[in-house]
Amino acid sequence: MKKTAITILVIVGVVAVCFLWGVGINNKLVNTEENVSQAWGNVENAYKRRADLIPQLVATVQGAANYEKGTLTEVIEARAKAGSVQVDANNLTEANVAQFQKAQDALSSALTRSINVVVERYPELTATQGFRDLQVQLEGTENRIATERGRFNDAVNSYNKMLRRFPNNIIAGICGFEKKGYFTAPEGSENPVEVKFDF
Amino acid sequence: MKRWLILLFLLPVLSVSAQDLWCPEPTNRLVNDYSSMLTPEQQQALETRLVAFDDSTSNQILVIITPSLHDCEIMELGTRIGTTWGVGQKDLKNGLVILIKSKTEEEPYGDVALVPGYGLEGALPDAFCKHIIDDEMIGPLGEGDYYTALVQALDVIEPVCRGEYSYADYKKEDRAALFGLLGFMLLFVVILLLAHRYNKKHPGSGSDNFTGGSGKSSGPYWGGFVFPRGGSSWGGGFGSGGFGSGGFGGFGGGSFGGGGAHGRF
Repeated sequence: MKKTAITILVIVGVVAVCFLWGVGINNKLVNTEENVSQAWGNVENAYKRRADLIPQLVATVQGAANYEKGTLTEVIEARAKAGSVQVDANNLTEANVAQFQKAQDALSSALTRSINVVVERYPELTATQGFRDLQVQLEGTENRIATERGRFNDAVNSYNKMLRRFPNNIIAGICGFEKKGYFTAPEGSENPVEVKFDF
Repeated sequence: MKRWLILLFLLPVLSVSAQDLWCPEPTNRLVNDYSSMLTPEQQQALETRLVAFDDSTSNQILVIITPSLHDCEIMELGTRIGTTWGVGQKDLKNGLVILIKSKTEEEPYGDVALVPGYGLEGALPDAFCKHIIDDEMIGPLGEGDYYTALVQALDVIEPVCRGEYSYADYKKEDRAALFGLLGFMLLFVVILLLAHRYNKKHPGSGSDNFTGGSGKSSGPYWGGFVFPRGGSSWGGGFGSGGFGSGGFGGFGGGSFGGGGAHGRF
């Protein structure tokens, strides 16, 4: 009689301890996951900033006397495409992040190419204050994107590490936490990009 | 299995690359000249000025002059220094890093970067930073006069950060000052005329009614018109009284997002 009572107490105690321990790990994972979501928000913010600058670029180039419509078509199309790829912060799987990245990389390269074309075709444009200011803003935006992408990767790194470590991975499996995707260097980025800003 | 292996490789690479990047050791000074481009007096003058600015507005401006960037990109390095040192207040994120790479025999080019924290990106947009660099700094820096470059830049940056005027005002400063003065004079005259008329129409009521009927001095009313800028130095309220007599109280933990601009000289 007494023995069974003690056994039950011990079992209840062990279960309670296990439960509390699991809750602790779960909460830690939630915190880290929130950090990843926040970092993702900053990444999107930086990209959004770039998308907002493109109409300005178009307007500035339109100001050039002999502006041809074809010059910036590619950028406008890439911008529309990049804008249509939205990733929910709660669903940052590797595939989703890669898809988002692909669209943004397409915009990056279109932007670089078009600016080279603009600089070549309208040399007088590069002397205007508006174009130079825009150039500085675009450069700053790229810096911000690089910074936020780096921080996002750091956040994902600590989250994935925590998630995959034993015994956290058991709790993570039960509670449905999933690994998140990194930003990686786009294909061909080991080749240097030629950009001509002469000012 | 393959993906697992890739991740195994990726994790150490990512964490090592984040730590191996060069960054100068944080000090407890706002002016750090590793190239000896400033005389001790100039350093002291700048330090005093920046500490006073920090005390009165809580905006922290860090000046670093280094002979080498150690193969880092200057904007990236500026952002990293700002974040690592924690320039600016944690909640306001109002730090600014002025990073100058001086010319040396081994690396015969100069580079200067203005890197504002998140909180100052509004007051110091990238294009504005570029203008400050081009208009105020490149000239004296090219002649080796680092002190003048810094003083000229601070003369523009400090009032902007204090909220006294914005980027647009900076560009239109001369005209704006004239128009502002004329506007105030006009307003003054109109108000005087109105008051005169009113008093003529209601000779019994006295001038106190005009000031809002409080029956007290007209000070507050006029104050609103004649000194509209009196209340604009909002930063004063953030002054950190805890700081001792003139010494720098330490960095506040501000954060940086990679904005700003740089220019070569």
